[in-house]
Amino acid sequence: MLYREALNKAIDECMRDDESVVILGEDVGRYGGSYRVSEGLISKYGEKRVIDTPIAELSIVGNSVGMAIGGLRPIAEIMTENFSLLALDQIINHAAKLRYMSGGKITLPMVVRMPGGVSRQLAAQHSESYEALYTAQPGLIVLSASNTTYAYHGLKWAIKSNDPVIFLEHELLYPMEMDFKEIKNFDPFKAEIVKEGKDITIITYLKMRYDVIEAVKELEKQGINAEIIDLNSLRPIDIQTIADSIKKTKKCVVVEEDHKTGGYGGEVVSQIMEECFYDLDAPVLRIAGEDVPIPYNRKLELASIPTPEKIVNKILEWKAKNGT
Amino acid sequence: MEHKIVMPVLSDTMDKGKLVKWHVNVGDFVKEGDVIAEVESDKAVMKIQTFKSGIVKKLLAKEGDEVPVKEAIAIIETDVKEAQKPKRKIKKQTQIRKPQAKPENQPEKKEVQKTEPQSQKVPEITMPQLPEGSASPAAKKLAGLYNIDIQKLQKQNSLPTPAHEDEIKEFIIKKYFTPKAAKVIKEYNLDINDFKLDHKINSKEVEIYIKQKNIPKITSLTPNQQAVIKTVENSWSKPTYFIFDEAEINKIEGIKLTANIIKALALAIQDNPLTRSILNENKLLTYPSSNISVALSRNDGLYMAVIKNAEEKSLNEINEWLKEIKTKRLTIDDLSGSTFGLSNLGMFNVKRFTALINDKDSGILAVGSLTDGKIKISFTFDHRIINGADGAKFVNDFKNYLKEIK
Repeated sequence: MLYREALNKAIDECMRDDESVVILGEDVGRYGGSYRVSEGLISKYGEKRVIDTPIAELSIVGNSVGMAIGGLRPIAEIMTENFSLLALDQIINHAAKLRYMSGGKITLPMVVRMPGGVSRQLAAQHSESYEALYTAQPGLIVLSASNTTYAYHGLKWAIKSNDPVIFLEHELLYPMEMDFKEIKNFDPFKAEIVKEGKDITIITYLKMRYDVIEAVKELEKQGINAEIIDLNSLRPIDIQTIADSIKKTKKCVVVEEDHKTGGYGGEVVSQIMEECFYDLDAPVLRIAGEDVPIPYNRKLELASIPTPEKIVNKILEWKAKNGT
Repeated sequence: MEHKIVMPVLSDTMDKGKLVKWHVNVGDFVKEGDVIAEVESDKAVMKIQTFKSGIVKKLLAKEGDEVPVKEAIAIIETDVKEAQKPKRKIKKQTQIRKPQAKPENQPEKKEVQKTEPQSQKVPEITMPQLPEGSASPAAKKLAGLYNIDIQKLQKQNSLPTPAHEDEIKEFIIKKYFTPKAAKVIKEYNLDINDFKLDHKINSKEVEIYIKQKNIPKITSLTPNQQAVIKTVENSWSKPTYFIFDEAEINKIEGIKLTANIIKALALAIQDNPLTRSILNENKLLTYPSSNISVALSRNDGLYMAVIKNAEEKSLNEINEWLKEIKTKRLTIDDLSGSTFGLSNLGMFNVKRFTALINDKDSGILAVGSLTDGKIKISFTFDHRIINGADGAKFVNDFKNYLKEIK
């Protein structure tokens, strides 16, 4: 199943089962969505439930907040994470806060879906990752889907959730073909152990999962047996799964695509320090994007983010430096 | 600063408590959470923990004294300079003996704990005092548990800088286990915490423990062993059948019987093109040469060494090859390119056995021991390549050639 098909399946099934579910955003209707996620939905559910909006992110999320207060379950699609900055006031000041400020009288069953990360030559204003920003907001749940299984189950869970969910996707994942697994008793907050290992724990999420998998194949040839954890849920973090893994491996690497300074990986490391300090046999290594706006030139673009090669080299350097 | 430890209120109805036992003496260093005394309330005997670390300055009650609640029973001096700090004994809660007095009070204990949450609030201390020196947190934790002075050992070059958990573990094993015992510990991947580390442990004690717990020894498979496993597993996917027979063979002075068999096999293979063939997807590849894979038990494992163009080689040449291949450093070329196999267990005194077909070979011959000038032969054929009639003809050709070699 393609990643975008998994998202489509989740939305389709929720719209079929529950009339209050609506989707709105730029080109979600007639055009089928910028990344074809909402393809075919307008012909099934009509213009009233699949709503093409003007190019105005603040109004997309603002309308969603109003719909959610009024009893609908809106799915707002933002074309890319960079554009979500225009909707920040509605997301942070309204969506995240209203349930608290109304003493629980208002609930906001809404999802804001947005793809982020470095795609192919979309340049600095279309390549950012804002998980660090959204995970810093109490009142929001932040999920990240790196694969079809989580995309389908996670989005379905998010649509049915009575609290606002920021659902992060990645632009390069949409056309990817992946195995799909039906899961009973799905837990959106559980991290996935992608591969078991005994020497180091590598924590990652979204598209970096695939770079890490590639890197780990190379590390394996060098005799390093790594465990890979995909976080899935970024807020809250499944620290238990991480702690159990570190207890076993004693060493940890966090890989993220976002810029290193202020990146989300810093929060992951901070929680590891609080929970796992005395299990660590080496300082935690962070592999992240460079602190530059993402360049347009393809070579420079790749130089600005982690790649399988870079991940392997950094891990080998780190191991040598720490004598492990 | 002086810190007073008072008789705690252990239950709603308690107004005084009896001091059953002191766990500390004046001058002892105590750490937050350490048990310092046992007190008997109207319901049960409870352990009293200190909420502050320091040195015990005064004990204000004797064992057996009854003290009103909230009155001081001990004074602790909390201003202790590092230098004065005596080496802390790690006190395990389980080491504390239960008071002998009034064992009949025991069942009521649970009830008392319910009404007295205060004593449960103190978290159990699991973190030992960490030693100085440059080491990872995990290494320090382990060193702390076993009272290992990392800094001192690093000055003596007994530990690397920074030290890691594995190196501390190594050191502990060296300290508490004889070299022989340490070897056994590693071989069985045992947890040193399962041993009482109060003396030098010898290998006998470790072996007794292994026997008692029936712990398996762990041996990693060599790449060769893993390759063998893969090859024999692959042979499962082949549809095979067997032909069992006997063949006359002549013993020639200075020549191994295996050489005779290879020679006869090579000649028979020349007469039967299917035994020179392998399957490749939907095609049959028939090679001109008799390249035979010969099962070889060497010190470094089992190999299927391939003798090339065996039909052109003399008996002596084959005999030399057999000697050479036993110790030679094997290359990929020595292990590939065969179309038929041979496995001879005759020298191990077994009458008959069957063998699994190697890699892509069309079949294999398994040879038993020599009795009365005859050997029992068992052919395994890949039915996709060689049908019964072809197989039978091949077996007879082989028998005739073998008889002729004198």
